[in-house]
Amino acid sequence: MTATAMEQDGYNLRLYVAGQTPKSLAALANLKKLCETHLPGRYTIEVIDLMKDPALAQRDQIVAIPTLIRQLPEPLKRIIGDLSNAEKVLVGLDIAPS
Amino acid sequence: MAAKDALQAARPRNEAEETVEAIHRGNVDAVVVQGPGGPQVIMLQGADAPYHVLVERMSDGALTLDADGSIVYVNSRLCALTGLDAQQLVGRTFAELFAGPVPQQRADDAASDAQLCRSDGSDLPVSVWMRQMAMGGVVATLVTLTDMSIQRRAEEVANAERFARSILEQATDAVVVLAPDGRITHASWVAEQLAERSPVGQLFSEAFPLHAQSANQEGTLTRFSRESLDRALATKPFHGVEVRLRDERMSGRSFLLSGGPLVNDAKETVGSIVTLTDITDRKRAEEQQTVLVAELNHRVKNILAIVQSVAGQTLRTSPSLPAFNKAFSGRIQAVSIAHDILTQTRWIGIGFNELLTTVLAPYGVGEGRISIEGPPVLLEARLVLPLSMVLHELATNASKYGALSAPFGQVTISWQLCDDRRRLELVWLERGGPPIEGNGSRGFGTTLIDRVVRFDLDGEADLAFAREGIRCTLRFALSAEAMPEQVPASAVQPD
Repeated sequence: MTATAMEQDGYNLRLYVAGQTPKSLAALANLKKLCETHLPGRYTIEVIDLMKDPALAQRDQIVAIPTLIRQLPEPLKRIIGDLSNAEKVLVGLDIAPS
Repeated sequence: MAAKDALQAARPRNEAEETVEAIHRGNVDAVVVQGPGGPQVIMLQGADAPYHVLVERMSDGALTLDADGSIVYVNSRLCALTGLDAQQLVGRTFAELFAGPVPQQRADDAASDAQLCRSDGSDLPVSVWMRQMAMGGVVATLVTLTDMSIQRRAEEVANAERFARSILEQATDAVVVLAPDGRITHASWVAEQLAERSPVGQLFSEAFPLHAQSANQEGTLTRFSRESLDRALATKPFHGVEVRLRDERMSGRSFLLSGGPLVNDAKETVGSIVTLTDITDRKRAEEQQTVLVAELNHRVKNILAIVQSVAGQTLRTSPSLPAFNKAFSGRIQAVSIAHDILTQTRWIGIGFNELLTTVLAPYGVGEGRISIEGPPVLLEARLVLPLSMVLHELATNASKYGALSAPFGQVTISWQLCDDRRRLELVWLERGGPPIEGNGSRGFGTTLIDRVVRFDLDGEADLAFAREGIRCTLRFALSAEAMPEQVPASAVQPD
């Protein structure tokens, strides 16, 4: 996918985790599964471990872990939790179920 | 517009509500709070379960200390290392764990060595890593302890191996270590040199194919097939079997084969140590010594026979005891001089010129009365004693009755090689002495000369008593090729 296409259609997602906590691991697994199902080839996921650098929490004002941030497409959206409720995640990210 | 503003105002509240709800529902397992040094991650209960499992399963001991240095957590490995359970350990001070110095956190984040006290009273060498860290506003110290006893043991084994290796390297014998199946596991430097190729990994019989040195020891070796020899060497003591290696490079060399069991700490035989000692030089020395002793016995017997014979004959021909004493002493002196020459030349032989000079020294050989002339000849050792006795008789006779008894008498000794250098002809010519009347005197001296030259020198003596002086011609063999083994003629009693 080209940069233009990414800007038009792509989802730029950022997942904040705390090491290998159960909810962090679950959130990452759920997110990957969901993206592969609904956004194949149209997403990027950046995983940020706040155990290694807690200061990064300030960038997106993270208060709970795990937290998913939708960077793109705008506007910025955030979903807190282990992303186990797929329907809620799809609604939260404005993704139409395929 | 108002509705949009209301939505905007409602947004942060919804996020906050969502966060609280997520925490409440257990959908999050950590929260970020603002600490004095910036954001801090606080784990909620249960969130560290995977870490806990990992820590409990790790092979190192682990513990956590509170700010006062008291133990608040230990993993199961630390319990195993100390021999105490977690309840006994939690609440103790860190220092109580150790015999000797208490380890401290190091600035370079490295571990330090310490001795961990065990419940049975023994100490365990451990490597201790420590780090102090703030956890949710509380200062704690995380510690791991690594059991170094296995590593120490491995180091000790490695050191012992190096030590044994250096002994093997320095050994002057060929030393090999055999496994119970007869294969060589270690070989000394000398053993490496003896074998055609590196013996390690080979059966002993392959690396060192053997012949027994003697027939009865051949039985010892042939009792075993090649395979059973390897097994026997690997498990049974073997002492002092003389062998030779079949390797052509080692032909002519003799070895002493010995072996003994190699026993481990549990007193089990785990193989054997076999040595091949090169005894070639020792055997040669022994053989030489045997030959020398036999030769010495032979010569001593000959000398005693000569002395006995000379004494008897001198007594028979001496008119008085003082005359006997003088004649006997002179003859024994000749024997003695001959033996001095043989000893000094290590029984190898002597130049004829040198023999003449030495034997005739008491009669003025260096003073112009006796002149010597002839080609260089090396005499064999066996010729030294008889020639010395003959020359002594001639010189004694000359000094008593012949040329050397007169002030201006002269003795000329000349010789030449004949019969293709195999024989020597010597002429003893006296001039200027008192005139000889008649046919000369045939006493013991002339008998001795005649017999010695004939039997000991395989030659002949011709004594001519001319009026102007004696002329004695000796012809004898230089080499012992045709000489039969016999008692010296000088020891034979005259008829």
